[in-house]
Amino acid sequence: MAVKDLGERDYAKWDTIVREGDLGTEMFIIQEGKVVVTKKVGDNEVFLATLERGDFFGEMSLLESVPRTATVRAIMPSKLLAIRAGELLMKFRRDPTFAFEMLQRMSSRVRQLNEQVVQLMQLDQITREELQKLSLRAEFFERKDKE
Amino acid sequence: MITDVVEDRLLITSDIHLGSFSCHAGGPFTRFFEFACTNGFNICINGDGIDVLHTTLGHITREVSRLLSNLKHILRTQTQIYYVIGNHDIVLEHFLSDWGSVRLLPFLNVTSGNLRIRVEHGHLYDPFFMKHPDLQSALTRFMGIFLHMKPHWYSWHNTFRKIRYRKPEAVQSERSKDGSLIIPGQNPAFIQAADELARRGFDYVVMGHTHAPGMFDLTGGKKYVNTGSWFRRPHYVKIENGTLELKPWNG
Repeated sequence: MAVKDLGERDYAKWDTIVREGDLGTEMFIIQEGKVVVTKKVGDNEVFLATLERGDFFGEMSLLESVPRTATVRAIMPSKLLAIRAGELLMKFRRDPTFAFEMLQRMSSRVRQLNEQVVQLMQLDQITREELQKLSLRAEFFERKDKE
Repeated sequence: MITDVVEDRLLITSDIHLGSFSCHAGGPFTRFFEFACTNGFNICINGDGIDVLHTTLGHITREVSRLLSNLKHILRTQTQIYYVIGNHDIVLEHFLSDWGSVRLLPFLNVTSGNLRIRVEHGHLYDPFFMKHPDLQSALTRFMGIFLHMKPHWYSWHNTFRKIRYRKPEAVQSERSKDGSLIIPGQNPAFIQAADELARRGFDYVVMGHTHAPGMFDLTGGKKYVNTGSWFRRPHYVKIENGTLELKPWNG
């Protein structure tokens, strides 16, 4: 990784930009290139998203002072703009529509997550109904066998 | 509200000031609109399209009557119109939404081929507008009446701006002693804003508001483009399959 002036950083292919669980107080805007976001679930690493030019990530650690919730790697040579906690308000002042776009993207992510929760709940309901049917069927055959 | 779009053929212009007593762009703009629709271009009006501050309903209806009667036909051709809000039509912010073929937006991010282009009117970077929005609105209304009576005062205003921001005909940007970017003929506040926007991964930042057309270099090979206004020599940006050009409109 090469650090340049004004928070600009260059990453080579497969460089890790942020690692899940690490402490970090910066968010990143992708100026050039592409990154992949993954998360550990048990022993597996699950793919979450691919982000491109203009997208941003790392805002949760910056806004809530929590450890990184996912790992982000460059999947091609990438150039990122890093914004530290103390620079965010100045960035909003110089570039007010960035705040609008951040809220817009975060709102979109919340909506997508809500939809996924509903889908999972529906799946859960279907699974429960299927399990209930299976147990009723098993009960039925058990009784029949006894008779 | 969808602010990120992919476009192969798009024309961008700004500061048409339709309805303004001193601009009279209704005829030329209608021809521009027809040119876009017949050649399969979508259109982006980058702020101050309708001069709400300088017009009356009666005046604007007369000026754009041909445009309005053509709208029905245009809507059938499925031409997409992006209308970015400026300071002379800021009241339209109440209608920010997708209205079928017309989309009202605060800014637009366009992807065309490998290019990423930011389209924004630019009034948010005008230090006077940000400090005194009501005063600027009142002065703009007053200037509208004044220009109606004394149209030649507009050229005096232009001359004043040229002197204030130095060498307006030069097209190369330069750096001041403190390292900040200066473009002759343009208020440094807009250039700094364009530079800040470009750092978010845009190749071009297209603005209006200053009424000074031109294409200028920013840091890192990025470009700032201004489409000027329809008061004098109208300009437009033509985006076609990943290329961008600034052109004068002579129609």
